Amino acid sequence: MSSIGIIANPASGKDIRRLVSYATTIDNQEKVNIVKRIVLAAQSVGVDKIYFMPDSFQFGWVVIDDLELDGNLTASCEVLQIPYMACAEDTTRTAAWMEEHSLGCVVVLGGDGTSRAAAKGLKDVPLLPVSTGTNNVYPEYTEGTVAGMAAGIAAGADDPAEFCLRDKRIEVSVDGEFRDIALVDAVVSDDLWVGSRAIWDVKKIEHIVAARSHPASIGFSAAAGCLEVIRPEDDRALALHLCGDDETKAVRKIKAPVAAGILSPVDIQEIRELGIGEAYSFTAEHNCMLALDGEREIRVREGQEVSFRLTRNGPLRVNIEKTLEKAVEHGLFNRD
Amino acid sequence: MDVTKEQMRHMYRTMVRIRKFESNAQNDFANGKIPGFLHLYLGEEAIATGVCENLNKDDFITSTHRGHGHIIAKGGDMKYMMAELYGKSTGYCKGKGGSMHIADRDLGILGANGIVGAGQDIAVGAGLSCKYRKTQQVCACFFGDGSTNQGTFHEALNMASIWKLPVIFVCENNHFGISMSQSRHQAIKDIADRAAAYGIPGVAVDGNDAMAVYEAANEAIARARKGQGPTLIECKTWRWRGHFEGDPAIYKDPKEQEEWVAREPVKRFREFLEENGVMTADEMDKVDAEVDQEIKDAVQFAEESPLPKPEDVGKDVYTDFDEEVRVR
Repeated sequence: MSSIGIIANPASGKDIRRLVSYATTIDNQEKVNIVKRIVLAAQSVGVDKIYFMPDSFQFGWVVIDDLELDGNLTASCEVLQIPYMACAEDTTRTAAWMEEHSLGCVVVLGGDGTSRAAAKGLKDVPLLPVSTGTNNVYPEYTEGTVAGMAAGIAAGADDPAEFCLRDKRIEVSVDGEFRDIALVDAVVSDDLWVGSRAIWDVKKIEHIVAARSHPASIGFSAAAGCLEVIRPEDDRALALHLCGDDETKAVRKIKAPVAAGILSPVDIQEIRELGIGEAYSFTAEHNCMLALDGEREIRVREGQEVSFRLTRNGPLRVNIEKTLEKAVEHGLFNRD
Repeated sequence: MDVTKEQMRHMYRTMVRIRKFESNAQNDFANGKIPGFLHLYLGEEAIATGVCENLNKDDFITSTHRGHGHIIAKGGDMKYMMAELYGKSTGYCKGKGGSMHIADRDLGILGANGIVGAGQDIAVGAGLSCKYRKTQQVCACFFGDGSTNQGTFHEALNMASIWKLPVIFVCENNHFGISMSQSRHQAIKDIADRAAAYGIPGVAVDGNDAMAVYEAANEAIARARKGQGPTLIECKTWRWRGHFEGDPAIYKDPKEQEEWVAREPVKRFREFLEENGVMTADEMDKVDAEVDQEIKDAVQFAEESPLPKPEDVGKDVYTDFDEEVRVR
C-alpha cells in the first residue's frame, strides 16, 4: 500500500516572462497529459492511492475521468475536498494536508514558485518537483512517466532518505521577524510593487543570495552561477551585492542568462560566501521589494533590517535518477 | 519599466472616476433616470486604468457593451457620457446611442459596441491603419471572456499576428459570459493559452491589480510600437454586478462573489499608494471629493440638457458618404 499526492498549478507557464523574454508557454491541457503519465507510471510501480489538489482547472477530475474512460485507471484516486482560492496558499495548504496524512511522496507541477509554496507545507514527506514553468531551477525538466515511476518508488520505499536530499533554503526575516523562504534565490529589487510578480530587469536588482547556482540555469541564481557553481548538496550559498548604475564599483563584470533567451550584463561590487546558519543582512536604503525564487513577494520599507539566512530546513527532495538507479539495484523492475 | 508618481496619482483618479461614475449610474438607473440597458464595469477598474495609462491621446481603443470604464480611462468626458446615458441631445451620440455606443474619434475611442466580439476586428483595422500609415500608434482592444469563443476573436488574432499589427488584445476575464460561468462556456481556464495558436505572446495577470496590468500593458505596447506585433493579455477579474442592471445574478456563487470583492481593486491601489508614499490618505480623500463634484456636475449637465427632437430621429443614422469623401 502506498500513496502519492499530486499538486498541479494551473497558473504556471503564462506570466509576463512570455512578453519580456522568450519563455516557454505550456497550456493546461499539456499539464493534464503530464499528470496522466505520472498517474499511470506511479500505479504501475505499486501506488494504489492518489490524492489531487483541488484547483480551478480541475486537473484531478479531468485526469480521473479520462483515464477511467480509457479503462486505464487502477489506483484509487481522490480530489481533496478542501477549499481553494486560486492562489499560492492552495498549494501550501494542500501540501500540509499531505504531510499531515503521511503520504509517500508529493509530486508538484509548476515552476520555482509552486515548489516553494509546496515546500512551505512539507517537512518529511518527499517532494518531487516537475517543471512546467520558465526560469525553473528547482523543479526538474522531466518526462511525466519518469516522474511517476520515481514518485511511486519513493512512496513505497522504507527509507526514502536513501535517494532524497534535504534541501537548503533561505529563511527571510524583516526586522527580526521570520517572513518567508526561498529554495533557490532571494533577490532585492528596486521595484515598489508586486505587479506581475516576475523579475527580469537586472538594472533593478541590488542583492542576490543564491542557495544554488549554476550557469546552466535561468534566472538570477544563474548570475551567481556564472561566477561559481554551488550544487544542492554543497553546504553554502553565494551572496552578491550588485553595482546598480555605478559600474565603477565593480569587482567582477559578467554576463548571465537572467531570463529565457537573454544574457544580461551583471556588475558585482561584493561577493560573499555563506555557510549553513549564516545570514546575509542589510538595512534597506529605500523602499524595495524582496523577490523569492523569481517572484516579487515582500515589500520592504526604507530603514528596515533584512536578513537572508541559509539553512538545511528545506524539503526532502527526490533525486529522480538516483531513485530509479536504486530501483534497478534492488530489482524493482524485474518481472520474475 | 518606469512609472512616475504623477502617473500613479493619475491612475488613482481614473479608477475613482470609473468607480463613482458607475456607482452613480447604478443608482440613477434604479431610480428610473437612465433608460435602456446598462452594463456596469464595477470591480474591473484596474484593467482600463492600467492599460490606458500607457496610451497616448492619438492611440486607439475598441470597447465592449461594458465600456464606460474604457471611455473614462481613455479621457472621455463624463458630462457627455452621462448625458448619453440619460438619452440627452448633448451626449456623445446625441442621446440616440445610449450606454453601448459611446465613441470619440478625437480621443481614438472607436466605440463601445453592443455586439459581443465586434470590437476585435475593428481593432485589427485600426492596427492596419497605424502600420500602413507608418505611425507609432497602437490600438488596445478590450473584450470579455465570452467573446473569445466568437469567430471574430480567432480571425482578429490570426490576422493581427500575420501582419504583425500594433494591437494589444486585452481580455477582461470576469468569469462570466452573460450568465454562463467560464467553466461552462470553455474547456480552458487561461485564455492567454490561446495566444500560442496564433504565434503571439499571451500572458495572464491579476486584473484587480492596477500595477500588474500597467506593467504587462507597458511591455506589450512597447513591443507593438517597435513593430513586433500583437500581444494577448488576459486580466483575471470579477464582474461585481449582474450582466446588466436588473439581472439578479442568481447564477453566481455568493462565496465566490465575496472572495473576489475582497480583492477590490480601488482599495488595493489606495493601500499601495499610501504604503509607498505616493499619496497620503488626505490627498486621496481630496481626489475622491473632487471626483464626487465632477459626477454631480455631469449629472446636472445631463439633467439640464434637452432630449433629442423627434424630428431628428433620422439624423446621424447613416454617414453622408459623399460629404465624407468630399471633406477628405
